[in-house]
Amino acid sequence: MQTENQNKIAIQLKQINKSYQKGNNNVVVHENFNLSIAEGEFVALMGPSGLGKSTLLHLIGGLDLPTSGSVIIGEQRIDTLSEGKLSTWRAENIGFVFQSHHLLPVLTAQGNVELPLLLTPLNNKQRKQHASLALRLVGMEERANHLPKELSGGQEQRVAIARAIVSDPKIILCDEPTGNLDRKTADEILSLLTTLNKNHGKTIVMVTHDLRASEYASRVIDLEQYIDASKQSQLSALEE
Amino acid sequence: MNIFQLVWRNSFRKKTRFSLTCLSVMIAFFLFSILAGINHALTSNVSSNNQYRLLTSHKISLARSLPINYQQKIIAIAGVESVSYASWFGGFFKDETNQLAVDHNSYFEMFDEYNIPVSQLEQWKKTRTGLVIGQAIANKYGWKIGDKVPLISSIWMNREGIFTWQFTVSAIYQSADGASNEKQIFFQHAYFDKSRAYARYMVSWLTPKVDEQADVDEVSQRIDKLFANSNGATRTTTEQVFIKERVQQFVDMAMVIKLVVIAVFFTLLLIVCNTMIQSNRERLNESAMMKALGFSSRFLIAQVYLESFFLLALGALLGCISAQLCLVYVRHLFTDFLPGIAIDNVHYLNVTLLVFLAATLCSLLPALTLKRLTISNTLGAKA
Repeated sequence: MQTENQNKIAIQLKQINKSYQKGNNNVVVHENFNLSIAEGEFVALMGPSGLGKSTLLHLIGGLDLPTSGSVIIGEQRIDTLSEGKLSTWRAENIGFVFQSHHLLPVLTAQGNVELPLLLTPLNNKQRKQHASLALRLVGMEERANHLPKELSGGQEQRVAIARAIVSDPKIILCDEPTGNLDRKTADEILSLLTTLNKNHGKTIVMVTHDLRASEYASRVIDLEQYIDASKQSQLSALEE
Repeated sequence: MNIFQLVWRNSFRKKTRFSLTCLSVMIAFFLFSILAGINHALTSNVSSNNQYRLLTSHKISLARSLPINYQQKIIAIAGVESVSYASWFGGFFKDETNQLAVDHNSYFEMFDEYNIPVSQLEQWKKTRTGLVIGQAIANKYGWKIGDKVPLISSIWMNREGIFTWQFTVSAIYQSADGASNEKQIFFQHAYFDKSRAYARYMVSWLTPKVDEQADVDEVSQRIDKLFANSNGATRTTTEQVFIKERVQQFVDMAMVIKLVVIAVFFTLLLIVCNTMIQSNRERLNESAMMKALGFSSRFLIAQVYLESFFLLALGALLGCISAQLCLVYVRHLFTDFLPGIAIDNVHYLNVTLLVFLAATLCSLLPALTLKRLTISNTLGAKA
C-alpha cells in the first residue's frame, strides 16, 4: 500500500519562479525551481534562512502564488485558481501547522479544532465528534475544554496538529512546528507527525532548522544543496 | 460552534473596551431617542381631526385679544364648518394648570378628544359657574361633582374687584386618545365674559373647523384676509403648526434634533470605527490563519460586520430602553406644557436603519484590510 502510494506524485512544482518587490529592488527567491513529492512521503525541507523554504511551503499550500511556473497538487493545478476556489481547495486538501500555533484565544481546544469543520457540510454533532476524534489522536482529549492560555506550548501545538488533521486532508504542511518547543516536547510532536504519516498515510512537508527532525522524515531536502544540484543539472542539460 | 458564537466570543474578548464603547453608543442613542420623543409631541399630539381645526389669533401676539363677534364673521366664510373660541384664564388653585374659558355651546363638540359623560356635559352647560376638570385634577385634589372650588387668576379681576373666582365642578373628563392630558380646567366663557372687570366681548383665540372637502390653506388665507385691514388683524394656522411654533419660541427643536443626529452619527462612527479597526488589527494573525484554513475573505468580513452590528445594536437597544424609561418621567413633568411625548415606531425604524448603516461604515476599513490580507506576509514568511 505504502509503495503503491509512493509511486503517485502528490506535489509537483514545475519551473517555479518567485520574486518579491522590496522597495525598488526585485528580490528573486526561486528561479526555475522544480520539486516532486510522492504520496505518503514525509519530507523535511532544511537549509539556512533566506533560501525560501517557507515560501515553498506557502506555494504548495496555495497561500502564495508563484511569479511563474505551475503548482500541481494531486491532479489539480492550483496556481490558476481564483481566491475563492483556492480557499475551498485549501479547506479540503491541506492541513497547516505553524511555528506559532495561532489558536483562537477565545475558543477552547475543542472549539479551535472544530473551526475548519465550519466549512464542511457536517452538522454540529458530527463536528463535535470529528473534533473529539482528532483531539484523541493527538492525546489532548482530556484538555478539550481548556482555553489556549491554559495549555503548555507543546499542548497548544498538539491542538494545532489536531486542527490541521480534523478535516482529513491528504497533505499536512508544517512550518517550523518544533521551533518554539523544548527538545522533549519537540520529539513528541515529531513522533506524532510520524504516526500521522505512517499510520494514516498523510503526506507531510515540514520546514525545519531542527537537525533531529531529519531522523523522523522519510526524505530530507537540504535546499541549498538541492538548488545547486538542480542548477548543475540544468546547465548540463543546456550544454548537451 | 458557528459564526454567531464566534462573533459573541470575539466581542467580549476585551470586556472593558467593549463595555465602554457600548456605553458611548448607548448614550448617543439615549439622547437621540429623548429628542425624538419630544419631537413626536411637537408633531402628533393632537387628535385625528386636528388637521381640520385651525387656530385664529391676533397677528401681533397671542397676548392680544380678538373681538368675540369674529365667530359670526368667520363662520360665514366658505369652507368653515363651525367656530369655537377660548380665553386664557391663567388661574391657580395650588399649582398652575391650563385653565380656559371656552364657548360652552361649541367647544367640546369640536374638541372630541375630551371624553365627558353626556349627562355631565349637559349639566355643565346649564351651570354658568360650572367647571369641566380633568380626571388627574380630580384625583389630585379629591374634587368631585358638585364641589365648590375657588380659582385665583393672575390676570383677570372680576367685577367685585377681586382675583378669586368661585366655580362648581360639573363634569370630569378623561383623555380620549391618551395624548391629551387630564390636567386642564374649562369653564363657560359667557360667565367669564360677564363677570370680568375689563376686556369684555373679547377672546384670546378662535378655533374654526374646516369642512373636510375644503382646502385648509385657502380657508386660512380667507380668514386672515377678512380682518387684514382692521385693528384685530389675524393669523390663522393649523392647530399642529400652532403648538409647534409655541415650543419653537423656546428652541428650534427640529434643528436641535437634526444637529444631535448628525453629531451622534459621526461620534458613533468614530468610536465604533476605532474599536473595530483596533480589534481587527490585533487579530490579523488569527485572520490570516483562518484564511489559511480555508475561510474566505467574505466570511471574515461578515464576522467583522456582525461584530460591529452587535456592538451598535446592543448600545442602541440599551439607549432606547433607557430613553423610554426616562420619558415616562419627562412626560409627567411636561404634561401641561407639551403633552404627547412618546417614542413612535418610525423612530425605532430610524434607529434600526442607523445601526445597519453605521455597522456597514464601521466595517469598511477592517473589510478592506481583510480583503488585502496576504497570508504569507502576515504569518511571517519572507523568503
